[in-house]
Amino acid sequence: MNSWNSVWKIGGIVLLAYVIVRGFSTPLQPGLVEASPTRLSPGKATVSLSAVGQPFLRDQETLEDFQLVLRSEEGLLKTQVLDISEHRVTASVNIPTVLPSPALDAFLFTPSSGTLFLGNAFFVENAAEGIIPAGFVAPAPDEAAPLLGFSFPYQPNIMESIRNLLWHVPMWFAMFFVMGIGFVASLAQLRTGQVNWDHRAEAAVRTGLVFGVLGLVTGSLWARWTWGAWWVSDPQLNGALVTVLLYSGYMILRAAMDDDERVGRLSAVYNVFAFIMLVVLLMVLPRYTESLHPGKDGNPGFNSYDLDNSLRAVFYPAVIGWGALCYWIYSLRLRMNRIEHHLLTQ
Amino acid sequence: MRTGFQSTFQTAIAVAKMEWRLEWRQGHQLASVALFAVASVYVAFQSSDHETSTGAWTAMLWLVYLFSGFTAVGRLFDRERTATRQYLRWTVEPLGLILGKLAHAILTTTGLTALVLATFVLFLGWPSGLEQAGKPGLLVLGAWLGGLSVTTTLVFVTAVASQVQSAGAALSAVLGLPLLLPQIILVTRLTRGALLGTPWNTLGELPLFLAALSVGTSILACILFPYIWRA
Repeated sequence: MNSWNSVWKIGGIVLLAYVIVRGFSTPLQPGLVEASPTRLSPGKATVSLSAVGQPFLRDQETLEDFQLVLRSEEGLLKTQVLDISEHRVTASVNIPTVLPSPALDAFLFTPSSGTLFLGNAFFVENAAEGIIPAGFVAPAPDEAAPLLGFSFPYQPNIMESIRNLLWHVPMWFAMFFVMGIGFVASLAQLRTGQVNWDHRAEAAVRTGLVFGVLGLVTGSLWARWTWGAWWVSDPQLNGALVTVLLYSGYMILRAAMDDDERVGRLSAVYNVFAFIMLVVLLMVLPRYTESLHPGKDGNPGFNSYDLDNSLRAVFYPAVIGWGALCYWIYSLRLRMNRIEHHLLTQ
Repeated sequence: MRTGFQSTFQTAIAVAKMEWRLEWRQGHQLASVALFAVASVYVAFQSSDHETSTGAWTAMLWLVYLFSGFTAVGRLFDRERTATRQYLRWTVEPLGLILGKLAHAILTTTGLTALVLATFVLFLGWPSGLEQAGKPGLLVLGAWLGGLSVTTTLVFVTAVASQVQSAGAALSAVLGLPLLLPQIILVTRLTRGALLGTPWNTLGELPLFLAALSVGTSILACILFPYIWRA
């Protein structure tokens, strides 16, 4: 029993150390971020595209291995790659006077990093609508299977901040985990009236609040980077803020009373009501607000396609590690509550 | 003390009647709520620039409603702090008592909705750009349903707060405002839709959800109230 007690604590810390090291040292897969110039006219032009993430150019790779193709609706437009450097590709392109659509998507076929894509990379002015003339059409290139090694997936807008997934998301998981413990403890407190259950509920809510605030802070930082604002009105964010407010109310309610029996009973009643309202809030409201947050409809969560195997290999340990740390803090707080109670009632 | 469904029902009616009679006898309490509501509406009217957008109109309406609701419901358990409480604890079963209080909250909501909406439209008129509300019936129904979901939640919160001797009015607000956020989000959406005359198929579920929320919070209050009341 005692050995198991140290095993899960040490295991959790080891997992978190692994998550921190792996989470910050793993390179990001390359992705195209910017095209220049963005506006083109029919005729010859030189274009360049810049990329972030690990370099898509490796040793012993030559210009011939790379191919840049522009797509206008279904038509493919060929280009001539002029120069490749670590995070930049330059190419010359001959733009015909007729195009199916003036918006061009860019596809960079690389020998080892797979295909890089930038939607609406260029806009062609003064081009008539029609099918691309035969001389300009590119053949459909062969796609090489990417050999990326252990790396995090590139997501437009999110880019390097994808590492926040290992902090922000498991913190909310951990919070819901201990808030769940608190809810069950409050139900048991109402059934039995034993002060022991109240100690559990208090410790759970207090720990959950710490993780809730951390979740809000990491989420707010992430929102600033990806959406451009520290806070937006969004069901997920409303739910998160209300959770923190509700449980702060719980702590204030406790602090406003002295007598142990009354504290236990009333705070348990409030906790049960709050938890059920929270479930309603998180299940009903998202149907009425469009959400920017991943995991909501029209905005797939990370698990659908971007949580690839490399990210999984760090994300799951992060969930377990943060959960273990959270449970550890909870159990310490519980012990403090019990000792305090013991000293005061002696 | 008789038990059983019929007796619970009779208790509820007796409590609601008592509440109502006391409201009328102590006329100053009803008057103070009404005065608070009308004065708040007038403050909203004076602080707006007569070019109120639909969003601002809705926000002010619900701020006024919310704080009038706090004033109206916040003193619902005040009498039970004193000797009356001891008397009721021995003579009345808790379920009947909370049902009576909830019934009283429905009446309060009806009065408050009529008063706040009427004075609001009287002073502020309709939002700029609107000749009149797109769906006046839905506006009134939505305000009543939204008000009901607010007051039923407040009944529960006030019941908890009234058990804390040292608590002032602030405790109800601290406990209540986060719990009221879902209701406010839903009802402001409904109010804006009703003002602009948004088609039914996009709003259809909102009144149902508000009604379900009122019923849900009432049931939860009924289940949990005996634990609050016991001592």
